[in-house]
Amino acid sequence: MLILIMGGSGSGKSAYAEEYICSVSGGRKKYYLATMQVFDEETRAKAEKHRRARSGKGFFTIEQPVSVCKTPEEMKGNAALLECMSNLTANEMFSGKAPKSYEAVAEKIVGDIESLNRELEVLVVVTNNVFEDGISYDDDTVSYIKALGSVNRRLAAMADQVIEVVAGIPVTVKEKG
Amino acid sequence: MKLVIGGFSQGKLEYVLNRNQDKDCVVLDGKLRCDEDLRGKTVIVSRLHGWIRERLADGGCPEKEIMEFAEKYPECILICDEIGNGIVPADAFERAYRERTGRILIMLAESAKEVVRVICGIGQKIK
Repeated sequence: MLILIMGGSGSGKSAYAEEYICSVSGGRKKYYLATMQVFDEETRAKAEKHRRARSGKGFFTIEQPVSVCKTPEEMKGNAALLECMSNLTANEMFSGKAPKSYEAVAEKIVGDIESLNRELEVLVVVTNNVFEDGISYDDDTVSYIKALGSVNRRLAAMADQVIEVVAGIPVTVKEKG
Repeated sequence: MKLVIGGFSQGKLEYVLNRNQDKDCVVLDGKLRCDEDLRGKTVIVSRLHGWIRERLADGGCPEKEIMEFAEKYPECILICDEIGNGIVPADAFERAYRERTGRILIMLAESAKEVVRVICGIGQKIK
């Protein structure tokens, strides 16, 4: 089962995704696949805030900034929360010497998530809505937005359910099939 | 308290005013204070995000102030732009502004009687 949860900055998408996976995972183990790379005080504080929010909910945290299909054998048949596509897309696109094309990045991410999803019973993917600020960006950023847009569209097509979180309130975008 | 959110120029204020034609409405544009006596009036705050931005720039605590306002005027209608659906800005203040505005909206949505999202002038009641 693949569930896609999207939202903007400070929308409450993470909290909702955690709540969601806890409600559907049953007795399965829950893994948290963290894609954010910690490199300064702000990212450290953010990671710490997320860790605190998850504590006591029984998640096993795995740091996976790129190649999310390369996960341990023990995850098989269990539940995972993958957070989030905006970081993963940035990591996949900009971690080499030169930025990769948005087509290649989207292909890689969607392929990785397809194989990850085959291994798991429940996969909840958190993604961002970065598409509505009306600002004209430089070429690299436009390419990044296109990659994330492509990832979102393809994951939404694959997903059993798509939910947008608005001011902490879940709004169904794609009904559970 | 009712909360109305949505993107820029989506007709949020018009939506609210159309639905409250029978009431004596006062619109506070991007502010929480006015000299008028607000008793018995339907208090509408528009451009709440503008007010939040100002309070953050002044080092204020918009979270506390807006909750106090909502308690003082339990029938008020708060209108705020959705500003979180974009690329995370490189500037720290801009990032904090988006994040805190988002968190304030979650807090307000929790205690609101009704939450409406306005898109193309059309209101979707999401709570």
